[in-house]
Amino acid sequence: MIDENPQADLTPEDLPEADSSGETDGVQESAESSMVPAEGEFPGFAEIDERDEFPGFAEIDEVADFAEVAEVADFAEVAEVAEVAEVAEVAEVAEIAEVAEVAEVAEVAEVAEVAEVAEVAEIAEFPGFGESEDGQPEDVVSSADDSGAAKSDGPGRRSFLTQLLAGTVGTVVGLVPVLSGLVFFLDPLIRRGQSSDPDGSGTSGGKDSEGFVKLSVTRPLLPRDGTPQQVTVKDDLVDAWNKFPNVPIGSVWVRRSESGEVIVFNTICPHLGCSVEFRNVESDFYCPCHLSAFKLDGTKDNPIPPRDMDSLVVKPDTGDEIWVQFKNYRGGISEKVEI
Amino acid sequence: MIRSLLAWLDHRTGYAGVLHEALYERVPGGARWRYVWGSTLVFTFGVQMITGFFLWTAYSPSANTAWESVYYIQNEMTFGSIVRGLHHFTAQLMIVLMAVHLVQVIIDGAYKAPREVNFWLGLVLMQIVLGLSLTGYLLPWDQKGYYATQVATKIMGNAPVIGVEAQELIQGGPKYGHHTLTRFFALHAGLLPASLIAFLGLHLYVFRRHGLTVKDKNHAPETTFWPDQVLKDGVACLAVLLLVLGLSIWKGAELSAPANPAENYAAARPEWYFLFLFRFLKFEFVEHFGLAFGSIYVPGALMGVVAAMPLVGRWAIGHKFNVAFTWMLTIGIGGLTLLAFYEDGKSESHQAAILEAHRDSERIRELAGGPNKIPVSGAVTLLREDPFTQGPRLFAKHCFGCHRYDGHDGRGRLVYEGRPDGTQVRGTPTAVDLGNFASPEWMRAVVVDYSNHFAPLKNAQWFRNPGDAEVLNPDESEMADWSGDAEALNSAENAKNVEALVAFLVAQAAHSNNGQAVEGDAAKVERGRVLAVDGDWAGAINGTSCADCHSTVGGPFKAVGDDDADGYPNLSGYGSAAWLTSFLSNPAAAQHYGEKNQMPSFAERMTAEELELLIHWLTGDYAPTAVERYEDRRERELSGSKKVDGKSASAEE
Repeated sequence: MIDENPQADLTPEDLPEADSSGETDGVQESAESSMVPAEGEFPGFAEIDERDEFPGFAEIDEVADFAEVAEVADFAEVAEVAEVAEVAEVAEVAEIAEVAEVAEVAEVAEVAEVAEVAEVAEIAEFPGFGESEDGQPEDVVSSADDSGAAKSDGPGRRSFLTQLLAGTVGTVVGLVPVLSGLVFFLDPLIRRGQSSDPDGSGTSGGKDSEGFVKLSVTRPLLPRDGTPQQVTVKDDLVDAWNKFPNVPIGSVWVRRSESGEVIVFNTICPHLGCSVEFRNVESDFYCPCHLSAFKLDGTKDNPIPPRDMDSLVVKPDTGDEIWVQFKNYRGGISEKVEI
Repeated sequence: MIRSLLAWLDHRTGYAGVLHEALYERVPGGARWRYVWGSTLVFTFGVQMITGFFLWTAYSPSANTAWESVYYIQNEMTFGSIVRGLHHFTAQLMIVLMAVHLVQVIIDGAYKAPREVNFWLGLVLMQIVLGLSLTGYLLPWDQKGYYATQVATKIMGNAPVIGVEAQELIQGGPKYGHHTLTRFFALHAGLLPASLIAFLGLHLYVFRRHGLTVKDKNHAPETTFWPDQVLKDGVACLAVLLLVLGLSIWKGAELSAPANPAENYAAARPEWYFLFLFRFLKFEFVEHFGLAFGSIYVPGALMGVVAAMPLVGRWAIGHKFNVAFTWMLTIGIGGLTLLAFYEDGKSESHQAAILEAHRDSERIRELAGGPNKIPVSGAVTLLREDPFTQGPRLFAKHCFGCHRYDGHDGRGRLVYEGRPDGTQVRGTPTAVDLGNFASPEWMRAVVVDYSNHFAPLKNAQWFRNPGDAEVLNPDESEMADWSGDAEALNSAENAKNVEALVAFLVAQAAHSNNGQAVEGDAAKVERGRVLAVDGDWAGAINGTSCADCHSTVGGPFKAVGDDDADGYPNLSGYGSAAWLTSFLSNPAAAQHYGEKNQMPSFAERMTAEELELLIHWLTGDYAPTAVERYEDRRERELSGSKKVDGKSASAEE
């Protein structure tokens, strides 16, 4: 934007409306008077060409084709507020706060006031300023220096240090809230693997020490023909700050295999997590969402599911009771990965 | 005065210039209807911001308050259904408008230089809007949103490299819970709208920088945005508003039953505008390449082609390709969407699932609106403890293997069985249909038509191949003999007696009708009691009474120990909740069917709570409901009657 600005390289003589005869006193007067009445009465503007000594001035040229100049009030170390009339092609009059104590600016003896005025007027447009989050005056200056440095033949050491410092401060003040927020947001990944089991004993609700939970169905009750039974699994459920004691946490299909052993599947489809149903006509398991089908032994029967149904470990030697390790597994992948 | 005030303001803000800039945009070729789409989109977004903010004031994102607060918004708060309806339907319309806008931009070549960047900005906006739809779908925490969103996050978990991490981050953990809601909500009401505003600002800024893409410069004399185009845009926005307002009032945003991870939701479907993707994933050939292929790579590649359009469109042939591609995509998406609707429409099981979902949704609305409101544990417990909701499910799970309920499985589904030749027939019940259990018809049938009433037992394997076991034979028993004396029972002189006995038996069962106790005719009931206990029949059965065999008949249910049983079924309080509890717990007890019994004991198969729920449902003992019963609905559909009262009609919607 700056580079495209046709005014960027204009000398004071090129500024059509500026009076180059230069009367700084007049500037003072004008600046301090409440309103500068007409164009061309701002002689001090002629001095602006000393831009080499005033690095930030590069942007100030944009004043020329600005429709509006933002109003900046009470800016940090503002000493005086001056109202400046329309300058050159500035269409709109703006109220401008003056930064008096800025060191670099003060070095520019002749244009001190005007330059500062103009610079502050440009604050809203400063490339660097918009990025500064804290509004410290150092940033303003360093921003000015930054862009000025690009134009001039090397800023002074002080300027460099200021830039470094300002950059560091800016980064720190920006990163601290952002990073702490991000880390906070990553909490689920950071606390991954931490047990939600509050007392650490591994038992909760109906669970035994090995994580088996008793089903509400017994071996003799399973149909001999292998028809599967759907059974709701109950256990304590911990959700963030809540613990819901002994509530349904999922459900399983239980059936007696041909060899008479009990096999148990999670009802959640290994494809995308809908619930697998039993179809008595086809005598198979079937998911109503994406049509996954499985044989009664849990092996997949069409290419839709990525793997067989998730069988669960049944505790051996429990007599008529059926104890099962209830787990959920990730969907959509061919491996069985516990969540 | 005002003029000078405005001048003062303008002096200091320059608003007049901005306003002028905004309003006096050149419109070469005149204002046209074809330019309204972008404006309607901005309008719909405005509606979403406004209604969204107000919904926010009443929404509470946590697993046991989200559904509850949405229920409260929808059903109890002033204008709640309107505001939520506007938000709900405008969101869907936004997708439609966005699609129209995109297709128009491509066809008109408005993506070509120098407008490439704005086209990409538009695509970014589209992703943001889709993100808003996805996150918003879950927020009510109802079964529909819960299960549909599970699919979306599972797909996300299948994305390459960071899939699982991304899924857990957005879910707030490995499983759904409180933090899934807080995170979805933060995205839905924070990050995504903020991004939308930023990108919309850029989109509009760049749009103004390049101006309208004029289709035909000579269509009409050049005009300015204000007032000609503004009027057309305004009318279009009005049409949009009327449409969503109408939908909010006449249809209303749906709120299905509260999310329940332990309860299947067979009606799970994504929002209709994602149905094409859903249907696409069902193709087996898609699955051959893996889930990520169908759900991530293919849609990603299609979006990539769209994003590359401005580059391809540099050449005339490229533009033609873009247009052709857009039409193909539109037809493909439209076709898959229609296919999905068609298949679901003709799938009996899906329709049954939808019916059940609506039933639950209506029922939970009644329960949550009841005098006790919603318990702290959440609305899901209301449904879990409701006999009207759980009874049919328990029946389908435990009873329908042998019994039917008015011909269906308890959940409104007709039962089919496959024949060896592959054809399907209605399944044959092997026990009595319990749809009218303990009703006057049932009692009358037991008394006067015993053999026929229990005839379905003869379909059972155990009856056909009894082996050595002594089985219950509905044709050959003392009861069958007594009841088989049709001449005596149906004689005119006994007509009143039968009626009284039925009245007595019905009163003993003490069922409720939709939660309301049924009052019998006291004199008739007493007469029936006398007939049962003492017998006072006319004709051939004179001198017999129920109590001759069933010594227990005559009073409320009284359990009889094995040693004291008389060898005949216990008829005290026959059909009542207490009787059912005893009978279902152990039908083979001496006081019930004894050794002849084939019915399994349900004390072992069901928990005490489940048994209680089932019995309360069978005896009609639950909070009264206006939800149409499955059997009433079937009857209505069979009779082809279109005339239904408003209440049950809306229950089905």
